[in-house]
Parts: sequence; structure tokens; C-alpha cells
Amino acid sequence: MKKTVEIPLGSQHISLLEPIRFRFHCENEVIRDVDADVGFVHRGVEEACASRFEFKQVGYVVARVCGLCAITHSLGYTLAVEKLLHVSTNERIKYLRMLMVELDRIHSHMLCLAHTSENAGFEALFMQIMNDRELIMDVQEALSGNRVQFDYISIGGVNRDLSVEAAALVLRNLALLEPKIDELFERFTNNWSLSLKYRGIGALSLEQAYMYNTLGPLARAAGLVTDVRLETDDFPYAQVGFEIITERGGDIYARNLVRLRELKQSMQMVRNIVEGLPEGAIQEKTKGKPEGEAIARVEAPRGELMYLVRGNKTSILERVRIKTPTFSGIPAMIEIFKGSNFADAPAILASFDPCMSCTAK
Amino acid sequence: MNKIDVSLENVVETIKAFYDPAAHHFLTLNALRAPEDQIELEWIFTRYGVIEEPTVFTLTCKRDVLIPSVTSFIPSAIMSERETVDMFGVSIEGAKRGLYLDDDSLQMPLGRCRV
Amino acid sequence: MSFWSKWRKRAPWILHYNAGSCNGCDIEILAALSPRYDLERFGVLNSGNPKQSDIFLVTGPVTYRSRERLIELYMQIPEPKVVVAVGACTATGGVFRGMYNVEDGIDRYIPVDVYVPGCAAGPQLIIDGVMEAVKIWERKTQEIEEPFKLFGGMGKIGEALSRRNTLEVKDEQNRREP
Ligand code: SF4
Repeated sequence: MKKTVEIPLGSQHISLLEPIRFRFHCENEVIRDVDADVGFVHRGVEEACASRFEFKQVGYVVARVCGLCAITHSLGYTLAVEKLLHVSTNERIKYLRMLMVELDRIHSHMLCLAHTSENAGFEALFMQIMNDRELIMDVQEALSGNRVQFDYISIGGVNRDLSVEAAALVLRNLALLEPKIDELFERFTNNWSLSLKYRGIGALSLEQAYMYNTLGPLARAAGLVTDVRLETDDFPYAQVGFEIITERGGDIYARNLVRLRELKQSMQMVRNIVEGLPEGAIQEKTKGKPEGEAIARVEAPRGELMYLVRGNKTSILERVRIKTPTFSGIPAMIEIFKGSNFADAPAILASFDPCMSCTAK
Repeated sequence: MNKIDVSLENVVETIKAFYDPAAHHFLTLNALRAPEDQIELEWIFTRYGVIEEPTVFTLTCKRDVLIPSVTSFIPSAIMSERETVDMFGVSIEGAKRGLYLDDDSLQMPLGRCRV
Repeated sequence: MSFWSKWRKRAPWILHYNAGSCNGCDIEILAALSPRYDLERFGVLNSGNPKQSDIFLVTGPVTYRSRERLIELYMQIPEPKVVVAVGACTATGGVFRGMYNVEDGIDRYIPVDVYVPGCAAGPQLIIDGVMEAVKIWERKTQEIEEPFKLFGGMGKIGEALSRRNTLEVKDEQNRREP
């Protein structure tokens, strides 16, 4: 006789923002095995990038792979193509790009924390964090002209300059946000349902993290030192005060702490970028067609994002390979689910901050 | 990037000898169509925490051979392998079809000739 | 019935389904529910249960694997129901138009009442769209309720039943006129 009970979760569920279907094989309360079906949002972007669009347009198409980290997608693609075109950008462009990526990280991490607190039963905290997040959305709108899909990065530069008023707005909103994040810190470390309850739940050990090649906050919470900002030299991250953040334990609590600390650090970096913005043009001249093969890596809010671009001297690229953070994180997620209680499944899932649109492309 | 050519016979051994779980990070398995109905596969690795160009193992082979799998020592490779199977219509040891594509979808969208 | 409908009129619950979107419109729907824009002041609640929902917010250009789910969810929502297509890619396919694994827009599968444009559709636009949907929903409710008014409408039903065969056409006109 079969000992396990199958419980499906998804593809549409209140604790899921996006369609993913799990099939938990449970023995009493404990999850023994998990099947995940991640292909619900597969659209076929990779194929379209290499056949329907010219290389100048692809940057705006790949932004539509994921709305939460749209800017890192266009940045990853643009970096790879710039390597093929042998364009080097000046410091101002690099700073402006970093600025947008860090702002994106702030709002994405806040969304994740909001979701975590909602799954812990804190409806009011969810609303509060979402409200505070609007401060960052305002900044993004003022800087780029759109709240979510800001097509800010173009090949060889950025599409808008940072005006004096916008810079003032950035600093003002960050000053408003700072005490709120401190308060969140307090909540997530001292409130029983958000902190102690989550100690030791959904834990990933350091060995497992190495074995499953985990990335981003998931790996850093387990103590694995990996961050693309540290591993590439495309951007002067050290100049703006970047330091790697790691925690121990690898449980939900540690992941929340990593996110909170990264939030604070990103805010500090944004401030440094705005204050130390170098002079220069915001667009470099580009010419020619991409030829050869290049890999670019960017740290998205959920971990490492990789673009591999191969061109053959025509305007249509030969291959665009997108490797997204959640895509490589799924084996580790399945591993974490095994052995934990079924009742914790939504909370564990929210703490991964999975992005299915990225995964399935 | 540092490219290392491997052949169908020694691909698993070469990668296994190179890969150190505590230092190397398996990025992804990439595939490309090559002329004469061949396929080019690239296993891409980077290192944790240091600035280094990615290391790429490349293999060019016929489309209809069985490609060995690296999941025995890199469990997270299963996702990229299943994706490659879906997108290019190749067969890789132990990788099932149907990660992304349904029965009535266009099969092996990246493996066919472009019009 | 009239006693309850006064309250029910302004409390439509929404069901949100992502049929292959990029997430951009989904987070804007969440933002529209959050205090800055506060869709909830209209009594709109986000529910995860199709059987309790009235307004169906769909994002994304229906991928192959989500077709079945979409129709299933649509069928499970009780009448009267209103469908709102949020975002450019939901209406026409947007950037994804013509990609191999998508159908161009949800109106190939389910009837759509309100289209919200934009990529990504802003929260203000989403609120506009939902309010438009509420109007349509009220109209649909009236249309459904009219022939079956139990309290106070009993006589009318009895009358209609007795004359059903002969005067069906005329009865139809009477019903429309008041
Ligand atoms: S309309 Fe644009 S932002 Fe909205 S889901 Fe579609 S692609 Fe994303």
C-alpha cells in the first residue's frame, strides 16, 4: 500500500503570485518528495530574440522576460552585446546603470519581505511594506518615466539623464525610507511569528548550498560567499561601498535578514552613487554588428543572471541564452522542501522569492 | 573565456576532474546549432568569490547521439539538461522531455532551421 | 434579496491569474491593492478562490500550458462574472505576439469585458478598469436577477409562467420596459 498522500499546490493559489504547480508527496505532515512543474509561463523569448528581432531591439524584448528584474535583464544583454561591439562606456553611464539596478533590488526585496509577512499572517505589515515600497517606485518613475517596465538602458548608454530635481527626490525618499527599514529590522528580529518561528525552518546547509549551486540570497543566507558584484569587474562596485553580506543557518530567518541587510546596503550605495556621480555623456557611439561570443553576468535581486550572446555580423543574433537565478535555484528548493512540514510550505516558498516568469522565459 | 574542447567519450571525466564543488559554480549548459546537423554544447563554470573569466567546455557532436549527463556530480544541472532536450530535440541521459513544451507546442523550437 | 444586494453591490471580489505575463502587470495589481492606491476602498478584495470571486483579472498572453487552467478558472467563477484583461500583452499579445508558445491575447479563449492598456498598466489605469468592470457587473447582476425576483416578484413569475406559452414574446417586452 502506498504510504504517502499527494497534495497539489497551484497553479493558482492565494499564496502564489505566479503559476507554478507543486505536487507534494506527504507522509502524515512531513513532505517526502516534491514534483514541480515550472513551465506555465513559457513563451519562447529566446527563440524570438534570435529570429524575429534585431539586436538593437532585443534589449527591450528581454526586459519583458520578468517585470520585477527587468532592468537587470536589459543590463545583462546590453553588457554582452557591448563586449561584442567593443564599446566601453564612461563612468557616468556605469554609475547611472548601477543606480537603477540597486533601486530595482530595493523594491524587489521589499516585495519579497511583504510577501513573507503576508504568509506569516501579517496582512497589515504586508500593506505597510507595500506602501513604503511606493517611495522607491516614485523614484523609478521620476528617473525613467515608468514604474515597472522602464526601458532605461540602451546599447552604449542610458536613455535618460539624472536631473537635479530627480537626484533630490532620490535622497529625500531614501531618507524617508531609512527609519521604516530600521523598524522592519526590529519586526523581523524580535517579533515571534516573524523571527523565532522561522528559525531552523526550511534550512539549507552550507554543504547543500555548494552541492546544489545555489545563488543569491538563498546561498548567502547559508554562508556561501557568492555575489556577482564581487565576481565581475564590469562595474566599480567597490567604489560605491559594496561589501558582501552573508548569514549563517540558511533558514527562512537568515534569508529575511540577508534581504534586510542588503536593503540597507543598497540604500547606502544609491546615496553614494547619487552624491558621487561623475560627469560625462550618457550615450557612447556604437557602430558595427555584433560578432563572436560573449558572456555577461549581473547580480539580479534573486541571484546571478547570465546572458550568452553569439552574433555573426548580421543584425539578427545567432543565439541568446538567458540563465536566470530561479532556474538554477529550483533543485535546491526541492531539496529544502523534503523533510519539512507541509504547513510550512507556503512560507518556505515565499522565502525563496521565486520568479517563474524568469524561470520559464 | 577559456574554452576547452572535449569529445563525447571524455566529457564527463574531464568535467569531473575539473569540478570542485566548493570552488566552482556551474553556470549553465548552453547549446547551439552547428552546421551539418550537428550541435554544439557548452558547459560553463565560474568560481565563487573571485574575478575570473568563465571556463567553458565545448563539445560538437551529431544531433542524434546520446549525450552523457553530468547530474551525477552536479545535481543542479538537471534543469539545464531538461531545457536543452526540450529546445533542441537532442537526447541527454536521464533528462525527460516536457519541462516547458506541451504536446501540441512547436517541438524543438531552437533546433530547427530558421526561415 | 434587495436587502442584501445593497451591500453586495459594492463588494466584488477579484481573482487574479497570471496566464504567462512578465510579472510587471501582476506587481502593479498588487500595488493597486496596497494603501497608496487602495483598490480595497471600493470593497474590492483579492481572493484566491474562484468560487467566491466576481471579477477575473487576467494578465499575460495565454501560454499553451495555462490555457486549460484559464478556462477552468473562468468556468468556476459563478455568474455574473466580469473579465478584465490587464496589460498590452493580454489584449493583443504585445511583445510576445507571434512567439511560438503563446496565443495572442486572451479573447481567443474567454470573453473579455474590459481591456486595460499599457505595458505595464499603471495602478491608476487598473483601478479605472476595475471600476468599469464593477459597472458592468452591476448591470449583469440586474439582468440575471430580474426574472427571478423571489420576494415581491413572485406574482410576476406566476403570471409569466401561466402565460408562458402564448404570450412569451409580449412578456419579454414587458420585462424590458420598466
Ligand atoms: S503588458 Fe507588459 S508589463 Fe504587463 S505583463 Fe505584459 S509584458 Fe509585462
